[in-house]
Amino acid sequence: MVKFLKPGKAVILLNGRFAGRKAVIVRSFDDGTRDRPYGHCLVAGIAKYPKKVIRKDSAKKTAKKSRVKAFLKVVNYTHIMPTRYTLDVDLKDIVNLDSLHSRDKKVTACKETKARLEERFKTGKNRWFFTKLRF
Amino acid sequence: MVIPSFSIDTFLSYKTYALQLRVLVSPDDEEGREGALFSCYAQRSTAMAPVKKAKKSTESINNRLALVMKSGKYTLGYKTVLRSLRNSKGKLVIIANNCPPLRKSEIEYYAMLGKVGVHHFNGNNVDLGTACGKYFRVCCLSIIDPGDSDIIKSIPGDH
Repeated sequence: MVKFLKPGKAVILLNGRFAGRKAVIVRSFDDGTRDRPYGHCLVAGIAKYPKKVIRKDSAKKTAKKSRVKAFLKVVNYTHIMPTRYTLDVDLKDIVNLDSLHSRDKKVTACKETKARLEERFKTGKNRWFFTKLRF
Repeated sequence: MVIPSFSIDTFLSYKTYALQLRVLVSPDDEEGREGALFSCYAQRSTAMAPVKKAKKSTESINNRLALVMKSGKYTLGYKTVLRSLRNSKGKLVIIANNCPPLRKSEIEYYAMLGKVGVHHFNGNNVDLGTACGKYFRVCCLSIIDPGDSDIIKSIPGDH
């Protein structure tokens, strides 16, 4: 009764190249569009998780280990597993539909989301989101 | 608890199944505990009813279901149940008792996210199909509009 596939919801991709990766819904299209007549959403996720950082690491090593590779994808609702977690990162201004139409726009959008996700990881919040799902 | 025994051995070879499973029931993860607890609670609630009372309430569930079939809107089957939960149209989900545990946990998780009641039907998919008046097996169904029936108000009370 409560709509839960909303922007900010953390989901796990089930199919495709990024199966098993965690992502956050940036924009949802519940009723679909003319090109995609099914419920789908635009997600921004983690392609490469940051490695585990320990106290012994030097600053250079910490910086190298905290790197995140992000991806953007339009994905069908059936290929997504919603979770009870949310990630409130403001990605609406960088990630939009037309940024996925051309290669260089997508690359710049990915770089921006990578920066935002990395700074969120460094604060230590949303730890579940940045840990790899073991399966 | 049933859940850990099937999780590790049976489904690790199926990528998507295993993914869903790890979301729901990984014992060392925070969210897994919740998923496991949730399923455990759900199973416990339908176990120990005195025999006479169980028979009476199953009859009334069947009556209410028949009324929904006649006058209301519903969908049958796993894919449409998930779809109805995703677009928040479903109001009550009924699952047969021989539903595979992974599928049952997944539907319960979606229902928990959408704050929709889940009723574990006292019968297998053959019985649930018969209760719906169909000649095929029904493992799970979702009631979208109860019509004249009071199934939404009365049934989640005993779950």
